[in-house]
Amino acid sequence: MRKLSAKLLLILTGILFLIPQATFGFDFSKLENSVSEYTLSNGLKVLIMERHDAPVASFVTWANVGSVDDPKGYTGLAHMFEHIAFKGTTTLGTKDIRRELELIAIEDSIFMELRAERNKGRLADSLRIKQLTEAYEKSREASYELVIPNEFGNTIRREGGVNLNAFTSEDQTVYFFSLPSNKVELWMALESERFLNPVFREMYKERDVVAEERRMRTDSSPVGRLIEEFFAMAFKAHPYGVPGIGNMSDIQYYSRQEAKAFFEKYYGPSNLTIAIVGDVNKDEVLKLAKQYWERIPYRPAPERIATIEPDQLGERRMELEDPSQPFYIVGWHTPENTHPDAPIINVLSDYLVSGRTSLLYESLVKEKKIAVQVGSFSNSFGGKYPTLFTIYAVPAAGHTNYECEKEIFSALEKLQNDPILLEEIEKVKARAKSEFINNLKRNLGLAMQLCGYQQYYGDWRELFHELDRINAVTPDDVQRVAKKYLNKNNRTVAMMNTIGAN
Amino acid sequence: MSIKKTGIIIGCLLMMAMILTPAWAQDVTKLSYPQLNKLEIPKVEKITLKNGIRLYILEDGSLPILEASVRVNCGSYLEPADKVGLAEICGEVMRTGGTSKWSGDKIDEMLEGVGASVETSIGMSSGNASVNALSEHTDLVLEILSEILRRPAFNEDKIELAKVGRRSDISRRNDDPSDIGSREFRKIIYGPESVFARHTEYATINTITRDDLVDFHKKYYHPENVQIALWGDFKRKDIVDKIKNYFGDWQRGDMKVPPPPKVDYKFESKVHYIFKGDVNQSNIYLGHIGGLIADDDYADRIVMNNVLGGGFGSRLFNTVRSKEGLAYTAIGFYTSNFNYPGVFYNYAATKSKSTCKAIIEIIKQIKGIQTDPPTVDEMHFGKDGYLNSFVFNFDTKAKVVNRMMNYDFYGMPEDFLQKEKEKVEGVTPEAVVKAAQRNLHPENLHVLVVGRQEDFDMPLSELGLGPVETIDITIPAEK
Repeated sequence: MRKLSAKLLLILTGILFLIPQATFGFDFSKLENSVSEYTLSNGLKVLIMERHDAPVASFVTWANVGSVDDPKGYTGLAHMFEHIAFKGTTTLGTKDIRRELELIAIEDSIFMELRAERNKGRLADSLRIKQLTEAYEKSREASYELVIPNEFGNTIRREGGVNLNAFTSEDQTVYFFSLPSNKVELWMALESERFLNPVFREMYKERDVVAEERRMRTDSSPVGRLIEEFFAMAFKAHPYGVPGIGNMSDIQYYSRQEAKAFFEKYYGPSNLTIAIVGDVNKDEVLKLAKQYWERIPYRPAPERIATIEPDQLGERRMELEDPSQPFYIVGWHTPENTHPDAPIINVLSDYLVSGRTSLLYESLVKEKKIAVQVGSFSNSFGGKYPTLFTIYAVPAAGHTNYECEKEIFSALEKLQNDPILLEEIEKVKARAKSEFINNLKRNLGLAMQLCGYQQYYGDWRELFHELDRINAVTPDDVQRVAKKYLNKNNRTVAMMNTIGAN
Repeated sequence: MSIKKTGIIIGCLLMMAMILTPAWAQDVTKLSYPQLNKLEIPKVEKITLKNGIRLYILEDGSLPILEASVRVNCGSYLEPADKVGLAEICGEVMRTGGTSKWSGDKIDEMLEGVGASVETSIGMSSGNASVNALSEHTDLVLEILSEILRRPAFNEDKIELAKVGRRSDISRRNDDPSDIGSREFRKIIYGPESVFARHTEYATINTITRDDLVDFHKKYYHPENVQIALWGDFKRKDIVDKIKNYFGDWQRGDMKVPPPPKVDYKFESKVHYIFKGDVNQSNIYLGHIGGLIADDDYADRIVMNNVLGGGFGSRLFNTVRSKEGLAYTAIGFYTSNFNYPGVFYNYAATKSKSTCKAIIEIIKQIKGIQTDPPTVDEMHFGKDGYLNSFVFNFDTKAKVVNRMMNYDFYGMPEDFLQKEKEKVEGVTPEAVVKAAQRNLHPENLHVLVVGRQEDFDMPLSELGLGPVETIDITIPAEK
């Protein structure tokens, strides 16, 4: 470590010689001032940013609800609703809404009977299950007759919408697409409608689609399997330990009523933020936002989760025997995104694993050649509630998880004993600045970032202060944080060891 | 508790409101839109330097960033069959192995110290480099780019590092079912020895020497084979002067680069099976050879793809996914390349128990597009959608300038995209059916299934799609 640092210092001197320190003057306040913020009468937050580079605009609806909010026994429900939100409304996706809703009600009542019978387990009447399954299939086909499949998405595609998609993560559910900028009203009409009058059509077939998504992402993916085990082990109380895609038995259990109740609770306008970034006029956008979104009546925002993950009493560890090649993950409990230590952890993470000059890449990959990749999940996992700082390593062929672990732990121990060089922190800050500016390139990315900061900090302006927080970090901070969090008792380890290789 | 109850009560009221007040409902088809602001297609400046380097330049002062991408006329198709992986390793070590002026580690420090990146690679049909930096570091990254492309040192330690990476890739290549499927399906279509499908083995990696990398670079990396696109925060005159400064004295070579070989494809119907024990879902691939971008009916095929298997609302999405709930991903595309034929491929991942059901459904949809013309709605999203989203071909400077560079490489006219758009405007439902009849061969499909046959709904042999051949994907051991 000490040897390495001396070498780095030498090289950095070289850089200073190469580039005369230019005074860097990019004015973020200009960007910040081009954002307008409004709160509609029903509590919906509207963020608008005018950018007139090309006649396009990106649109985001950011719901402050994620898989952490899944009710017990209904894991994956937040994600399930995200799928349902593409199924249309009372006017889009149906040939006859009144008749369709009647048939849906019949489908539901048969499904609930079937579910109750199935739920008797060993005592269930198999003949009755067979009859009910047949009746249920028939009722499903009957209501499907009235469906115009995927009309919601087709309407967007027809009008030139691109990047139509959505995602559900631990903390939020996000819906987005981009349109030619003269079609702002189309987005306003469609998007407000789907959170005003959604129809939970094709609910039970869509559950099968989600089940396939789970088989693809988790069950049939070696790293997917390992990560699910890892998080389940790391959190014993807080729902960050529960898989966002849902447990298979839960996915196959939920009914339309439960999905509706979830929607009612979490999709009130005061729990949503919308952002529009592109070649638009803010006054016109606001006028349309009021016209369309204020149709949704006020509902109070749901409460935050009160569960706090208790202090960990000792290391947790699991070894998954698998035909796949080795994979190593270690994580430590760390505070939520808005905690003063969070930017320090980001700096620490960058120093450890970002780029070819990071501490762990240099030692595990470049020098010792025992891993082909190291990385971290510091920012991609949760953060609304206390979370995990996670490092993973992909061992090189012929090398083991244990070799990688030993090297990671010894690097961290040194980090706890000797503060890192000021030059190293400066490098992290230079990278953060470059990354920050690059992230301003795309309308869609900007719209999402504004919403994200609005959710976590309650103020989108914090986006433009992110660099200030990074720039305030000192070597002492990094050492203090490494000592405070990266301890044995606070860590969870999961590894995949190869048995009977593919 | 009381909060929860209130939530549910409000919920019920809303449900009633939703059914009882259709006056709220919006008919979005009746919306009218203002005129779209004029799309100013930025003009790319093309310059050829004396030594043959072709530059594509576009100023963009909106953010203080400089970006560049480089294309070099070469590719892994040029490497010998017993040294597969040579081009890829050459592309990696060109950057990591340093130059005659700086070591690779020093370049890492120089770039990461200012948050910049210069990366190189060599793919199947081109050598590439990409540059991203705050514009205050323009000189630094251009000098590094020049050093790397012109004077790579191919340091032995970094060659070994690259080989460690490739060997690990080989050892891991059977872990993920979709990796197995996409790799093996290409081999089925192009042939296992084809330059378009072949892949590394321990044996091919181990025979590659430093001399091989030096020779490959020496053979192809000459200015007349190089194109550089630059966009971002600069004045055009300044950037051209800088490029001349760093690249102007690069001497021409005399290597004529041969084009990729022809593909010899025979249509046949066959089922291929790969056993994967640790999955509960089958990865299914169906298809045959595809086409070229220059084909006469390319525009018809754009609409055909959108209708058959291109995302939301396509026939595969509506049936395999939404109606039957058989898969999360269900896609199908007849792909086209500039200089060698693409692949017609259809893909779905479905639970083991519905493997054959999904295969049958996909084939039904392929046959369907040959007989049932797209409906009015399908033409709306398949054709109007393409036209209405056309503006997104120009929404970033990067797209515009890189497209120009690629068209130039393949000798396509600058306005190729606009011409294609005009052709798409003329596509009719009948033309889509004709294109499907001409290009798709549902009676002659290769079917590949990666999964656990013991769990399938029926044996693959009973599909009536020809003999079932089991592919052994055991990785040949390192000697």
